Amino acid sequence: MKRFVLLVLIAFGALMFYGVSTLPDRADPRAPANLEESAAGSPVAQDYYIRHAYEDAHTPNMVTVILADYRAYDTLGETMVIFAAGLACFLILRRRRQEDLEEWEESEGLEESEESKEDGTRS
Amino acid sequence: MLDFFLGHYAYLFLVALFVVGLYGVVTKRNLVKKLIGLNIFQSAIILIYVAGASKWNATVPILEGSGASYGDAGVAQEAAHGAIEAAHYINPLPHTLMLTAIVVGVATTGVALALLITIHRRYGTLDESELLERMS
Repeated sequence: MKRFVLLVLIAFGALMFYGVSTLPDRADPRAPANLEESAAGSPVAQDYYIRHAYEDAHTPNMVTVILADYRAYDTLGETMVIFAAGLACFLILRRRRQEDLEEWEESEGLEESEESKEDGTRS
Repeated sequence: MLDFFLGHYAYLFLVALFVVGLYGVVTKRNLVKKLIGLNIFQSAIILIYVAGASKWNATVPILEGSGASYGDAGVAQEAAHGAIEAAHYINPLPHTLMLTAIVVGVATTGVALALLITIHRRYGTLDESELLERMS
């Protein structure tokens, strides 16, 4: 089992290595993502954002402009995710009265192995 | 070979970080350690995007000459005349996307920790094999 896991990890690493080695050099200004125009002649996103961020939103920080202006709905969805996560945490961690009682019994030493078994199967 | 290494060393180290994260997720029996592995994995992905955003001789994607003179007419004029060089600033898009990813990652980590707390309350352990025993 251990050997199998090791094999899977090495295979994953080799796959990632292969994928990464086909990328253009890091920080190369002639990489396709850093050009002004793609091979098909359409404008590349970063070029458009850098050139137009200030005139579109009058904010010097381009990351802010993309986050809160061009991709405002994305950010809205993100806040919904955060809200959902907070709600989920609240619902998961909320203690019901029954549980409090059980915990009290446990701390008083009244708890039996039978009870804990039943506790486990109950969902 | 040296050129390849110089162009890709950041990616190569981050692939190593990937594998470390996956190792934690797959082999560790303690659920908290698994979660830490998942977070390492996520950090590797975020860092690979941020590493790919860089450009030689470029600066952070904030307009030069802003800062102190925030909202200055000079910056606006420069922008209006199309004098902003795209090669002068690094790619802002991966930074934005990873900002979103970090926030979502924090949310998922929070939910996972809440689940772990509930598991520990109910079964008294976070060890995988022990959990399976107690659940059956």
